Amino acid sequence: MSVVWILAGFFLLLALWGICIYNRLVMLKNDVRNAWSQVDVQLKRRYDLIPNLVAAVKGFMEHEKTLLQNVVDARARAMAADRIRDRSSAEDSLTNCLNGFFAVMEGYPVLKSNENVMHLQEELVSTENRIAFSRQLYNDLVANYRTRLEVFPDMIISSLFSFRPAEYFSAGRDDLQLPKAALSSSAQ
Amino acid sequence: MPITFIDIERQKSWRIGLLLFFLVALYFLFAFIIAQAVVLFLLGTRSFFVIGSANYAVIIAVSVLTLALVHFGISGYTAVQRVIEQVRAETPDPEDGIHRQLVNIIAEIHIASGNTRKIRCMVIPTLSMNALAVTDLKGEAVIAITEGLLSRLSRDQLEAVVAHEAYHILSGDCLETSLAASLFGIYASAVDGLKGASTEDVRAVPFLLLFWMLSTLASMVNMFISREREYRADAGAVRMTRNPLALAEALHRISARWSGAGFISDGLEMLCISSPTVDSHDEAEGWLDDLLSTHPPVRKRIAVLLGMAHLSPSALDKQDRSRTPVQMPPLPAGSFEGGSVQEPLMFCPSCRGPLVREPAESTTVFRCHACRGLLVDNDKIPRILARKQVECTDRLLALVRAVTADNQRSLAIRQKRLKERKNAETIPCPKCGRVMFRTFYSYAYLIEIDRCNACCLTWFDADELEMLQYIIENKITGAIENLQEFHG
Repeated sequence: MSVVWILAGFFLLLALWGICIYNRLVMLKNDVRNAWSQVDVQLKRRYDLIPNLVAAVKGFMEHEKTLLQNVVDARARAMAADRIRDRSSAEDSLTNCLNGFFAVMEGYPVLKSNENVMHLQEELVSTENRIAFSRQLYNDLVANYRTRLEVFPDMIISSLFSFRPAEYFSAGRDDLQLPKAALSSSAQ
Repeated sequence: MPITFIDIERQKSWRIGLLLFFLVALYFLFAFIIAQAVVLFLLGTRSFFVIGSANYAVIIAVSVLTLALVHFGISGYTAVQRVIEQVRAETPDPEDGIHRQLVNIIAEIHIASGNTRKIRCMVIPTLSMNALAVTDLKGEAVIAITEGLLSRLSRDQLEAVVAHEAYHILSGDCLETSLAASLFGIYASAVDGLKGASTEDVRAVPFLLLFWMLSTLASMVNMFISREREYRADAGAVRMTRNPLALAEALHRISARWSGAGFISDGLEMLCISSPTVDSHDEAEGWLDDLLSTHPPVRKRIAVLLGMAHLSPSALDKQDRSRTPVQMPPLPAGSFEGGSVQEPLMFCPSCRGPLVREPAESTTVFRCHACRGLLVDNDKIPRILARKQVECTDRLLALVRAVTADNQRSLAIRQKRLKERKNAETIPCPKCGRVMFRTFYSYAYLIEIDRCNACCLTWFDADELEMLQYIIENKITGAIENLQEFHG
């Protein structure tokens, strides 16, 4: 009789332990999802800001038509991307385009005295940082979650309930090269 | 160390709870001892046991506990408000470019930390360089940055500083320090009050000693752990911004300047990024210095940070990446483009020319293009002074020498003959038309300005703002002895 009780107690403890692990995994998964929505919000914010900035500087930067067009194209490509992996590489090329654009803007002192342009630029710089930070947080949380899925006792529960590992929002392969010095010709 | 800041939020509670409990218990104990002492004092020389034996003890204990509890509640819920009032912090001005940047930076750090806590930002209108963070039991959190720091740091350096303060808030250090500062502040002020009284009345001396012991012991408990907390906050800031170099540069720049001694009072120093008071213990190491100083040596903090960036300390001196002053193209004289139509047109008080609104150092001032005079809002003056970079021309130097020497002399004369003040010099306020009040910017900086106290506006004649800036930058102060008696 007592053996049955002991066994029952053992299984009860086992179940409780399983529930704890399960709950923790769910919590981590929701953290990841939450962080992703933050990345998404910031990316949308950037899509909204870019047309404003382009419109504001168009008049001053007659000679940079191709540069402006590149930014606009990169934005369109990023907006069209679906999967996280495609999207991260498209967003990276947009970031590169914008950085080049800011570098060229430095050469136009008249833009620096324009209140509206300076305001937009500050907003965009801030948005770039927000994207970088939200992405950093997302990747940290994904790493945290993936480790939990793979370490030993949690692994049993995660495979039992088929938790899926989340995908990193990482730099694409083409970003590993050095940025091309395409600005030297356009700065004249 | 936990993996993310979300984990920090989840795990911090018990550690903070323990510390808070200890401090609060200490506080209640002190309150009880003081009450006993007071009763003993009032009843004269009767023995302690008379009071301790009867219902006295119970009555005292209950009343003291209630009082202490009320004090605890009030200080716990008003800590943020109190500190803000004490340092005169203001909400950022949405029309000011650099203040907008600060708001953005706080939002960015908020994201980096995972949106766990709403943090407000404020600006302290002083030229000193420091930053502080406060939280209270209500869950309100504020990061306040001085105007001097805002204008002298680049964007990423400022971000590193804000991240350091945000880490203090997230890890809960700040709640504990804020509460302690708020609770034991009353003892510190009691010490100040009793210092004066003890010279007249000998009976105040034992109280002075007691209060002094209490406040010192409480701050020592805090100080003992505060050095280690600074290192951890530095590490936390680096994990948020991934930029150790920026924080090292920021610390380097802060340590080289006035960090606000006198303006930021004792008891708040633990909330700051760098200790505002200068003390021989601050830069020393050893267990005694650990006990007596709130912040670790800046030298060592910078060394740790540079280690993270794989750089040698000499790298810091070579690259100066501070905020470069924004070059404004000179406006053509008499141009009206900057002026907005909605505002009533104002005229120069000295030459009757129109005043034109124009941008200056990311904020706006009104300038007369005929005589180059400037009309500035009083609250914008510290900002402009902190941000403006004046080039040292011979003309300006000669002007500064002449004007300060002249003012020094006229001040000395006026001191002797107070009544003989010229009234003919006064000018009307461009906004309300009332007579402006002529005064010196301060008795340390002898530049004459005109103030309208009703509109909070200040009129600078041509070059006066530049001279003032030059004097402050180069610390040219006149002889300021014997000036206290004079209040014109």
